[in-house]
Amino acid sequence: MSAPIHIPMVPSDPMEAWTARVNGAQFTELAHSHSILLDVLRDHVGTLGVKRGCDMGTCGCCAVLVDGEPVLSCLTLAFEVEGKDITTVEGLADGHHLHPIQQCFADHGGSQCGFCTPGFLVVSAALLDKEPNPSEAAIKEAIEGNLCRCTGYQQIVTSIQEAGEMLRNGLTGEDRTEAASDPHPVGPDEPTLPPGDAR
Amino acid sequence: MSKGYRQAPSGSSDKKRKDGKRIAGKQDFGVPGSGGSNPYSELQDIERIPNSQGGQLEQPRGPHVHDPHITGQTIGKATPLVDSRWKVTGQAEYGDDIRLPNELVGRILRSPHHYARIVSIDTSAAEALPGVRAVSTGMDSVNRFGVLPVTKDEHAMAQDKVRHVGDLVACVAAESEEIAIEALSYIHVDYEVMESIHDMEDGLLDSENPIHDRGKYHIGESNVQKRVFQQFGHTDAMHDAPFQSKSDWTFAGLHHGFTEPHAVVAHWDPNGRLQLYTPQQVPHYVHRALSSVLDVPMHQINVIRTFVGGGFGGKSDPFPHEMCAAILAKKSGRPVRINFDREEVYWINRGRHPSRIQMEVYADEKGRIAGIETDALIDGGAFASFGHVTTYYNGVLHTSPYEIGGFHYTGARVWTNKPASGAMRGHGAVNSRCAVEVAIDDVCEQMGVDPMTFRLANLLPPHCRTITGFRITSTGMRECLDEVRKQSGWDDKFRKMPLGRGIGVGCGFFISGSGLPIHWDPENFPHATVHLQCDMDGGVTVHTGAADIGQGSDTAVAQAVSEVLALPLDMIRIRSRESDTAPVDLGSYSSRVTFMNCNAAIRAAIELREKVLNAAWEIIGYHPDSLVLGDRRIYYKRDPAIGVSWLQAVHKAQADTGSLIASGAYRTPPMGGVHKGAAAGLAPAYSFSAYVAEVEVDPETGFVRVIKAWAAHDCGKALNPLAVEGQIIGSCHMGMGQVLSEEMRYGRTGHLLNPDLLDYKIMSVHEMPEVVPIIVESNDPEGPFGAKEAGEGPLLPILPAVVNAIYDAIGVRVNELPVSPDRLYSTIEKQCRKMGIKDPLDLPNPSFEPSALQADLENRAKEHAHRDLQRDLLKDRSSYVNGVLFGFDPDRPLPEQSEGWRESVTPTPEDLADPKKRAARAWSHVERRKRRDDA
Ligand code: FES
Ligand code: FES
Repeated sequence: MSAPIHIPMVPSDPMEAWTARVNGAQFTELAHSHSILLDVLRDHVGTLGVKRGCDMGTCGCCAVLVDGEPVLSCLTLAFEVEGKDITTVEGLADGHHLHPIQQCFADHGGSQCGFCTPGFLVVSAALLDKEPNPSEAAIKEAIEGNLCRCTGYQQIVTSIQEAGEMLRNGLTGEDRTEAASDPHPVGPDEPTLPPGDAR
Repeated sequence: MSKGYRQAPSGSSDKKRKDGKRIAGKQDFGVPGSGGSNPYSELQDIERIPNSQGGQLEQPRGPHVHDPHITGQTIGKATPLVDSRWKVTGQAEYGDDIRLPNELVGRILRSPHHYARIVSIDTSAAEALPGVRAVSTGMDSVNRFGVLPVTKDEHAMAQDKVRHVGDLVACVAAESEEIAIEALSYIHVDYEVMESIHDMEDGLLDSENPIHDRGKYHIGESNVQKRVFQQFGHTDAMHDAPFQSKSDWTFAGLHHGFTEPHAVVAHWDPNGRLQLYTPQQVPHYVHRALSSVLDVPMHQINVIRTFVGGGFGGKSDPFPHEMCAAILAKKSGRPVRINFDREEVYWINRGRHPSRIQMEVYADEKGRIAGIETDALIDGGAFASFGHVTTYYNGVLHTSPYEIGGFHYTGARVWTNKPASGAMRGHGAVNSRCAVEVAIDDVCEQMGVDPMTFRLANLLPPHCRTITGFRITSTGMRECLDEVRKQSGWDDKFRKMPLGRGIGVGCGFFISGSGLPIHWDPENFPHATVHLQCDMDGGVTVHTGAADIGQGSDTAVAQAVSEVLALPLDMIRIRSRESDTAPVDLGSYSSRVTFMNCNAAIRAAIELREKVLNAAWEIIGYHPDSLVLGDRRIYYKRDPAIGVSWLQAVHKAQADTGSLIASGAYRTPPMGGVHKGAAAGLAPAYSFSAYVAEVEVDPETGFVRVIKAWAAHDCGKALNPLAVEGQIIGSCHMGMGQVLSEEMRYGRTGHLLNPDLLDYKIMSVHEMPEVVPIIVESNDPEGPFGAKEAGEGPLLPILPAVVNAIYDAIGVRVNELPVSPDRLYSTIEKQCRKMGIKDPLDLPNPSFEPSALQADLENRAKEHAHRDLQRDLLKDRSSYVNGVLFGFDPDRPLPEQSEGWRESVTPTPEDLADPKKRAARAWSHVERRKRRDDA
């Protein structure tokens, strides 16, 4: 017979107003003094791109940038970052264009199941922000706190290197709002090959 | 941008009446779109069109049935996943990201005991807590379920007893997570603790309280869940072979370690239909299980697969928490979301079985493998899960890629009071494959031949049958070995590096889709079905039930359709998420999706293509046989300027129906033997792989570092090389984790010590060595465009490659995984003591003196290379069965040709005589129905 254990959780202390800039917009939410940043971001602010992988600082899925510095939001109290500037994966793209790091993760296989991706993206965006031409060792050091079970990291490292290259060349990611292929291709050209050469 | 071809301008959007007035409402479907990223239609890229079709694509292994449908559009090009944009922008919704209005949060009460009877449960206090909306216990759901119809042994919540720590007892739905957690502590459960078992060998014994009761099928009074016996070939004679390797392996249990914890959302919609959102690999099984557990017809349930944050086999069972969410949602009348914390993920487990494997490999004086004898005891934990199949796979999947003289397998799976083991990447094949490959290395050492040469001289050829009757079609095994040998510089490194530095090789073999659908007879119902729908916009919507779990199955199916129809990928839309709209599919396991779904998709696309070509025929007057599909355009073979755009042809074809639909299905050809269990391991195709790993071992600490791995995998044809490489590297990552650090550690009292990602050691970026992925394409005759699987097979060879490399480095054989420094160091110590060496640095560095056999085997390997090529090109069409190398005539039954050739799946007492064998002991019990006292 097991004695019932009672864990008093409710009612907890009253909520207070918590304010921060998240992805460029000012948010004021009600939160407990013990509220975890991860919970506030996911449940109140609504940035569900921030992922919960372990709740104990071991996977890196929940990483966000606070004033440009990577932070594990599951180990951070919301009130610790009161009034700060928070960037989540949703804040990387500029609305139209993907951030080069997003573009490269998509194009070079840096993301398979994608659950770890938001964490990797913000961490490497912060790295490239400081050092657009990082050495392989620097890249590995930057992402050492992030676990990925799918990719084996190799294509992630490549993606970061490629993104650095794009940034150095002043390129942005592709425009997400531009229409893709038209099923009805038209063009001004006449045939350039003699008949019969098509195959 | 290359120059393309202009369409005849449709220009008829200004249809006029005879009197010059426009006809209201009778406008053509105008030229849509905003111009698009490429307004020009590309001609077929001649370099991507196969030789057999008059193109320039080399086909060293001859043409393929799908060649006529290759348009050069996407197949073989590195293609980013079609859903990667969702993932990188944070818009991909995983299980826990589904937030429905007015939702409740569900939480589960779990057993604190390994094994206990539930005397009573009192939930009244929990129900009275303000904010609690529903409480449920096992009483609310008495129907059994389980992933395999033959072993349904799970319930939504415990009925009369709990079987492991973390087993589900009750659940609560409340307004907030805090309230739900608090409510759990108000549920009073009286347990009567029973004696639990934790060691798998105890599971073999009779017990007063077996963990499950299987009625008349129960094996003795023991905890043996499944036992398998197979004996083929010269299983007696093999014991006299001159070279023998015997080893006794211990493999720790493993967890998949996916980054996304399980989560589920259930909602009964206003029409009373259940909508269940879950990150599942196999939504269809959940669909079935929900229906039978809840007693609701299947058509009243919609299973919606969310994005899946990694599966690896760990999200392929129907889970009790999915049932709980549905029950709570029904009771409360509101949507309920249950999300696991990381610890709960380990309680539900379904990871790789902890196993003890006794492996014996025999080789004869001619350097042939005289036989393999395996005894595998695997620890299934508290439930059956996929265990039935796992028990087979531990044996039957090492009957290839080598030709063997005999195969003797005893396998048993037992229940213990641990979280259930199940399917994990490389299902059932990983551990025994490691043991076989290491034993082969050992045999080579005794014979004095290079393990590369030995393997090359003993491979089964393409188009043959294995000793247990599997039908092998294509194999690229030889090329894989050749490639890794060359690229790793094997010949300069093997046994030539200083102490502490080593290189090793290992091979792998895996099914590409299980030949037997679990729930139905393949004769009556196909394995996979895909529907296509093409509407007036010209885009094609693909309906498939294949679950994209990050491996890129949506992308592969989209590619298959886009290739046949010559449409850019952005015109293909995949709808694979909802059981309401998707045709039934068996889901993502046993590496079946690429093979089966793409085949079905190709068939559907061919049907659609025919309709569109016929329409084009009507427009331009050329017969479909002389028409070619190029990028969004259909044109005359001999004059590409004559053609119509895809959209024009589609509109023509839609004249009667308004929309075009097509459907395609795939079923496996009839194959395999007739003995009991012949279907286990049967697949329409098999993948092959060979890896070389180079390691650094510190003899003074036992610390192993993998420096580099060369990984060659035969995936038939890489539909998407980017994804194949990703799978290879990812598999290496997972496999190296298993060799070096990953382990579910159980303490003395049977408690799991490391249910978290801190102590369950998954390799970080620092430990991960460079992996050189090498893609080998054997062009499978039945695969979609020649493709086979690439998701699981690539995991197998890395384990033995690393273990063999450790031997090459310090001359010490390990047979316990993971090879953590403490384990390896104690093995080193033992070895030193045995050899009378004080300092581990004085260990003798293994060396290699080729014996006379080496040259023989090299010659044989060369002959076989020639033989294989002839068979590949179908120049040699003679039949080949395992046994030809031993002088048998492949066209007559083997048992007829030799007295000692056995083919049996029921053991005689002599077959199980060896008292040291563990799994064999499972036969000391008699099934209840066969016992006299029951008769
Ligand atoms: S959730 Fe924060 S590190 Fe895992
Ligand atoms: S992509 Fe799946 S965990 Fe990294």
